[in-house]
Amino acid sequence: MDPIWQNLPVLLDGLRLTIQYSIVAIILMVVIGLVAALMRLSAVAPLRWIATAYVEIFRSTPLLVQLFFIVLGLPAILPVNQWFGQLTYPILAAALTLSLNEGAYVTEIIRAGILGVDRGQKEAAQSIAMNGFQTMRYIVLPQAFKRMIPPLVNQAAQTIKDTSLLAPVGIAELVYKGEIVIAETFASFAIWGLIAALYFVLIFSVSKFSSYMERRLQVDKR
Amino acid sequence: MINVKDLHKSFGHNEILKGISTHVAEKEVVVVIGPSGSGKSTFLRCLNGLETATSGEIEIAGMTLTDPKTNIHMLRQHVGMVFQQFNLFKHLTILENVTIGPRKVKKVTPAEADKVARELLAKVGLVGKEASYPDELSGGQQQRVAIARSLAMGPNVMLFDEPTSALDPEMVGEVLQVMKTLAVEGMTMVVVTHEMGFAREVGHRVIFMDDGLIVEEGAPKALFSDPQVDRTKSFLAKIL
Ligand SMILES: Nc1ncnc2c1ncn2[C@@H]1O[C@H](COP(=O)(O)OP(=O)(O)OP(=O)(O)O)[C@@H](O)[C@H]1O
Ligand SMILES: [Mg+2]
Repeated sequence: MDPIWQNLPVLLDGLRLTIQYSIVAIILMVVIGLVAALMRLSAVAPLRWIATAYVEIFRSTPLLVQLFFIVLGLPAILPVNQWFGQLTYPILAAALTLSLNEGAYVTEIIRAGILGVDRGQKEAAQSIAMNGFQTMRYIVLPQAFKRMIPPLVNQAAQTIKDTSLLAPVGIAELVYKGEIVIAETFASFAIWGLIAALYFVLIFSVSKFSSYMERRLQVDKR
Repeated sequence: MINVKDLHKSFGHNEILKGISTHVAEKEVVVVIGPSGSGKSTFLRCLNGLETATSGEIEIAGMTLTDPKTNIHMLRQHVGMVFQQFNLFKHLTILENVTIGPRKVKKVTPAEADKVARELLAKVGLVGKEASYPDELSGGQQQRVAIARSLAMGPNVMLFDEPTSALDPEMVGEVLQVMKTLAVEGMTMVVVTHEMGFAREVGHRVIFMDDGLIVEEGAPKALFSDPQVDRTKSFLAKIL
């Protein structure tokens, strides 16, 4: 009991950091995913190529390797630590790499959502003189969004889990703090068990909350 | 109101419209008939820029649609379109379906858009359905909302692509009635339909299309009772 209770504040501090990175990454991944999805569906070929290359590169390499490459590899050839600050760069780079990685999956979710909306909806919007932006914003995306919620929630849960990969590149979060505590207390079983439980509570409440939201959305607006 | 000169449209190597030329006068109701695949929908879709003409010239409400400098969105404000499958915006209420165009495109105030929408819904006989969603309405009701949605933009021309083909028989009449009222009020209309009763009663002119060309056109009575071309004769024999 002792090692847990004494170190609980440290672990909770790690949990706070994990939640912070998760929130940042989830917001960014949706923004990035939306932009990249619209680029993938664009009529402008170079935009499509860039977005496709982005998605394929990030989906076809491991996140851990991406993190090592950008957080630890890049400073070896570029003075990024001086540009952004010795302490800031790893945090910035790690958060951005995580967001880009998750954003690649979100791109495909949003793209599929948009393509899943009946073509007649778009044509009807065009026939009442809506331009491309208005058609997307008021007609296609609201309908696409509803079918995107379940896979997006899935991806958000995945993102929370993936923040644990920030520990190996030296970013302080729940796993990182846990390793510190274990190094001091040797209470490996108890601490890893507790960490797993904390992740479970976090992710389980996210998915419960979102299925509640989904139900409400379905009642209010079909 | 509408002037079409030598309109061609191909999808890849497949030429669907092979040189359509016609003129639709203001307040005229033109009914387009023809076998499946003859290019009726493609022709109509070219008229509001849903399809881009491969060559030829289309002039509507004083604007040249086929001129790349023409603002297509400006032009579409003058050309309403009603689809076979209604295509109501599923996530919006009936009232919102009718107000969203004026509000977002024409930047009309919400109060003004609401007022106009309620008048139009009354006109198509749908008072009391404002807060419903499209899938709570029958097909006939949905199609009447779709007509109101188009009218809300204040078009000079209305295009109808088989507006009653997806409807149960008992709902066809209510939609045709709304269209007839529009025609009587002087709306310029191009209607693709298989409803020969409507063509005869409301149409000023019937165009018979086959294989991407206008084969024959004329006043409904004359064309139906005394077609000149063999292809028209055999088509009419099948459907009349
Ligand atoms: N986007 C498209 N791409 C390729 N071919 C198309 C496309 N749209 C239509 N076509 C082809 O053009 C031809 C004419 O189609 P269209 O829909 O204009 O005929 P229609 O006269 O309206 O027929 P129907 O009475 O069945 O509605 C068809 O053979 C169709 O397969
Ligand atoms: Mg058709």
